[in-house]
Amino acid sequence: MNGRFTLRPEEVGYPEQLLSVPRPPKVLNGMGDPALLVRGLAVIGSRKASPYGLECAARFAGLAAQWGVTIISGAAMGCDLAAHSAALAAGAPTVAVLGCGADVDYPRRAAAVLAEVRSGRGAVVSELDWGAPPLPGQFPARNRIIAGLSAAVLVVEAALPSGTFSTADHALDAGRDVFAVPGSVFYAGSAGCNRLIRQGAQPITCDEDLRDSLAGVGLLTRAATEACGGHAEPGSDPVLEALRATPMSPDAIAHALMLDLPSVLRRLAALEQSGEAALYPDGRYGPCARH
Amino acid sequence: MPSSTIAGVHAVPVDVEVDVASGLPSFAIVGLGDTAVLEARDRVRSALRACGFDFPNAHVTVNLAPAPVRKHGTGFDLPIALGILAATGQVPAAVCCAVAVGELGLDGGVRPVAGLLAHAMAARSRDLPLLVSADALSEVSAVSGVSPRPVTSLGTLRHGLPAEGRLGPVEHAAPPTGADFAEVHGQGVAKRALEIAAAGGLGLLMIGPPGTGKTMLARRFPGILPPLTESEILETAAVHSVAGLDIEGILRGVRPFRTPHHTATTAGLVGGGTPPRPGEASLAHNGVLFLDELPEFSPAALQALRQPLEDGHLTLVRAEGRVRYPARFALVAAMNPCPCGFLGDPGRACTCPAAAIERYRTRIGGPLIDRIDITLRVDRVAPSSLLRVPVEESSRCVRERVIAARERCAGRGLPASLSGTSLLAACALGEGERKAVEAAARRHRLSGRGVTRLLRVGRAIADLADSDRVQTDHVLEASCYRVMV
Repeated sequence: MNGRFTLRPEEVGYPEQLLSVPRPPKVLNGMGDPALLVRGLAVIGSRKASPYGLECAARFAGLAAQWGVTIISGAAMGCDLAAHSAALAAGAPTVAVLGCGADVDYPRRAAAVLAEVRSGRGAVVSELDWGAPPLPGQFPARNRIIAGLSAAVLVVEAALPSGTFSTADHALDAGRDVFAVPGSVFYAGSAGCNRLIRQGAQPITCDEDLRDSLAGVGLLTRAATEACGGHAEPGSDPVLEALRATPMSPDAIAHALMLDLPSVLRRLAALEQSGEAALYPDGRYGPCARH
Repeated sequence: MPSSTIAGVHAVPVDVEVDVASGLPSFAIVGLGDTAVLEARDRVRSALRACGFDFPNAHVTVNLAPAPVRKHGTGFDLPIALGILAATGQVPAAVCCAVAVGELGLDGGVRPVAGLLAHAMAARSRDLPLLVSADALSEVSAVSGVSPRPVTSLGTLRHGLPAEGRLGPVEHAAPPTGADFAEVHGQGVAKRALEIAAAGGLGLLMIGPPGTGKTMLARRFPGILPPLTESEILETAAVHSVAGLDIEGILRGVRPFRTPHHTATTAGLVGGGTPPRPGEASLAHNGVLFLDELPEFSPAALQALRQPLEDGHLTLVRAEGRVRYPARFALVAAMNPCPCGFLGDPGRACTCPAAAIERYRTRIGGPLIDRIDITLRVDRVAPSSLLRVPVEESSRCVRERVIAARERCAGRGLPASLSGTSLLAACALGEGERKAVEAAARRHRLSGRGVTRLLRVGRAIADLADSDRVQTDHVLEASCYRVMV
C-alpha cells in the first residue's frame, strides 16, 4: 500500500482546476502523492506513434519537466508512455490518469512506469473504483480529466479521428490552451495535429515555442534560459535533407536522388545509428530529432 | 526373392521367402506387413491366373525377412508372385537374383510404387539388378550404377529376366522460366534482400500489407538460386519419390518450392503418420519452404520447424521406430504487419488495437524468429511505376551473381551455415568494422544471436561484392534488414 488516497469535490485537496470540466469526477481515487495534482502540461499523442511522434513526446515532455512543469498524461502505449518516462528521467513529477482502476496496471507495458509514479514520484489517479478493469467506454471519459488537470494540452501526434483528438476537444471545452506539434502533410498519423494548428492551436515548432507557450499559460514564471538549438543545421547530406522534407522508402530515395540502392541503405543505416533518422513502422525512413 | 521396404527416405533390404508345402490349401503372409501387404494375397492370386500361371493348390507361406521390421505398401506384390512362381518352377530361377519392387494389377500388369528411387539405391548397394515397372524407368534411371529391368506384365517374366533398359540422362533445365524478377516493378529493397538471402543461404521474412507483392517476390526466389547439384538432385528426388510425387522437375535440376497452406498440421509440415511420410519441410529439402501468413500457422507446427532449421534434418520418433528425413531448406516467410493487414499502409487506416498487434507478432515465437536472418518491409508500389516500361533486371542476371557469391563462399572452405568462431574467422573484421558492429548492436539492442545474424548477412553482402573481408559498408547495409521483432 503506497499511499492510496480518495478525493471528493467538496474536500480540501481536490484539484480546483478539475471543477472547470463538464461533469467533474465525483470521486478521484489515486495512488502516490496527492499534493502533486497541480496544474501542469498534458502531453498526449497517438498509441501507434511514429518515431517522430515518440521523439517529440520525449523531447518536449522532458524539456518542460526540466523547467519544473508537472507532466500529465494517460499512460497509454506510445506517446503517453514516452512523455511519462521523459518526465521521470528529468526528475520532475508526473501524473497518470487511467481509464481503469488507479491500482490496475494497464497497459501491461506501462507497469514499470506506473509503479515508479505510484511510489511517490507523482500520482496515478482515476475516477473509477479500485480494481476496475479497463473497458472501452471509459477511456474517452478519462480524457476529460487529463484536460481538466492541466493548464494546457500539448498534442505531439494525432490522427483523424482519434482519442487524442478528442482530448484536445475536451481541453477546448474546459477552456484550456491547446499546443500542437506539426507533422508531415503526407502522413495520415499527423493529420490531427495539423488540423488543430489550422483551427488555432499554438504550433510548437522548436524549444523556444514551447517555452513561450508555457509562459503564456502561466506555467513558467521566469523564462527558461536554456534553449537547445531547435532546428537541425541544414547539412550537406542529400539523403538526410530529403528525409527531413518527407519520410520516404529506400526505393523512393534511390529513385529521387538517382543513387544505387545499397549505398542508400548504407547511408540510412549510418543516419539511424547516429540518431538522425529512424525507420517508420511502414518501412519508410524519416527524420528523428537530435538530442 | 530380394526386395526392399521404405524407412524414412531409404529402402531397407527385405527378403521374400516362399514355402510351398503339401497340406490344406492356404496362403499366409507373415513378417509384420500392413493391410496393403496382406491384400497382396488376392492381387497375386488373380494376377497369376490372368497371366496363365497356376496358383499352387498347396500350403503357401510367405515370410518377409527380417521379420521384426514393419513393412508397408504394395511393392511386395511382384516379389511374392515371383517367389511363388519360382518355387513351383513356373519361371526360371534366374529371376530370383533381381530386387523386385512393384504392385500387381488383377490382369498381371506391373505398376510403379512410391519411393522407387530409394529402392533403386538399395538395389545398387546390394549390387543386384532391379526389376521394376516399365512406367517408372525414367525415375530409376536417375540412379547411376543400377541395372533396371523394365517389366510391363507378369507374363513376360516366363522366360527369365528382361534385358537392361535405361533412359539417357535428363537434360538439365535452364532456370525455371515463367516467373522472372524482371516482372516485379520497383521493390528494390526486397529484391536486394532476396539476392542476399540466396547468396548466403539465409532465412527471410517479408512484412507488408496484403497485395503488395510478397507472394510474387517469394515465387521468384527459386529462380535466382543456383541449380541443384548431382548429389542434391538425388537427395531431393528421393524424398519426393518416397512421398509419391512427380520428380521430373527435380531431375532437371529445378529446386523445389513448397507453399504449405497455413492450416497445415504439425505432421503435414514436418512429417508423420502411419506409415511415416515426409512433410513439407522435407519436400523442400535443398529448395525453398515458403510460409505465407506466418502468424496464422499453428504455433506447435512452427515450433516443430526449429530442429530442421538448426540441424538440416528431422528425426521422428514413433512407437514403431525412428525415421530421419533430410530437411535443409531456405525459409521464406511472409506476414501482414497486423491482423487487419494495413498498419503503416499509406492508403488505408489500420483498425487494430495496439494489444492485438502485439499478440499477432508474438505468435511466431522468439526461437523461430531468431532463425530468420533478414526481415524487411514490403510496401505498395506506386501505380505510376507499375505502368512504366519495365527496365528491371532478369532473374538470370541476379542468379549469376548469386552463383559467383556462393562459389566465393565455398572457396573459403568453412561450413555454409556459419556460427561462432568460424563466422568471425570468415568475416575477418578489422578495428573499424568491429566498431560498426558494436554501434549497430547498441543502437538496435541486438542479442548475441542478433549480432550473429548481422554478421551472417554482412558476410553474404561481402560475398556478393566480391570482398574477402566484411567491411563497414557491408555491416551498415546488413543492419537495414531487421525491421521488427
